[in-house]
Amino acid sequence: MKSPLDRTKVVLRHLPPTITESMLIDQIDIRFVNRYNWLYFRPGKTSQKRQVCARAYINFNRPEDVIEFAELFDGHVFVNEKGTQFKVIVEYAPSQRVPKQWSKKDGR
Amino acid sequence: PEKSARVSKVRPPLYQYIRKLIFSDLDKSSIEHVLRQLRKLPWGECESYLLKCFLKVHKGKYSQIHLLASLTAGLSRYHDEFAVAVVDEVLEEIRLGLELNEYGMQQRRIASMRFLGELYNYELVDSSLIFDTLNLILVFGHGTSEQETLDPLEDCFRVRMVITLLETCGHYSDRGSSKRKLDRFLIHFQRYILCKGVLPLDIEFDMQDLFAVLRPNMIRYSSMEDVDAALIEIEEHEHSVSSQKENNEKYSDTGKSPLRTSSNTSVN
Repeated sequence: MKSPLDRTKVVLRHLPPTITESMLIDQIDIRFVNRYNWLYFRPGKTSQKRQVCARAYINFNRPEDVIEFAELFDGHVFVNEKGTQFKVIVEYAPSQRVPKQWSKKDGR
Repeated sequence: PEKSARVSKVRPPLYQYIRKLIFSDLDKSSIEHVLRQLRKLPWGECESYLLKCFLKVHKGKYSQIHLLASLTAGLSRYHDEFAVAVVDEVLEEIRLGLELNEYGMQQRRIASMRFLGELYNYELVDSSLIFDTLNLILVFGHGTSEQETLDPLEDCFRVRMVITLLETCGHYSDRGSSKRKLDRFLIHFQRYILCKGVLPLDIEFDMQDLFAVLRPNMIRYSSMEDVDAALIEIEEHEHSVSSQKENNEKYSDTGKSPLRTSSNTSVN
């Protein structure tokens, strides 16, 4: 098992269902551009039945980047167009595995 | 009053084809064929739809969940990002289930546990992840104000979740560090069960079956004092083992750390 000090993959949970990948990346890149090497966005969904929050998995270059990122984003409140608040949770992703092939996504 | 006729969902042909492959064609004899067909798909267009279908394990037959895990393993050679996503999504399902604890999600949650166990059997996740998940199930929401809604005293659903996962992949934890982790977990699990009071009979029988298969000689504790004493003992033992190990490691060369053998016994 990777010790906490080696972990670089985080999951952002409880993002607003309507947030898009580019909106999120814009927010992240203000401080963290070029400091992560993989980002996987899972869009949310709003239907009459239920609301599914968006999520994102990010692999940072260095474990220290994770700490700084969590300080900034954990508990950060996003407000959607209707004024509903979404308090983001940042956690180490339970599975730290990142795809071997890097061709698909280069962080941008 | 006149009801409007129900409009059935029309899916694009590509999606219909994917659904046919996964939900009706897939069985033990056709799996090679299904895998080949899936590999031929235009992945750029349909990867996220494919992920969605894989996560609908609860819609298919329970006995076929291992086929989906096997397909995931087969696809991981060419589409590693897909396999990573399947694992991440299953873990999210499990976590979300704990957060919401909705009755209507129960079937789905049991299927997720089974799927995670099968993903372990196909080597897509390692044993530490299995034990992290098991431990999360025992403690999630405990000690918070929400404990009464997330895991009410009379609610034995989490016991079912644990049993399902261990039935699926517990038999691999029969040696080494993974054996120790399972021994330790089963005692924590017993403590959790004692807190629940008397189990419903069907769950009790499943428990007995599980212990008979995994640890036929393990004591079933009947009082909190006994189980706590057992936990202290195991903790002390592990502590002495791990400090010994630390001493040994100081003098040995640290080579490459193999990813798959999650060997460090972590003592908190």
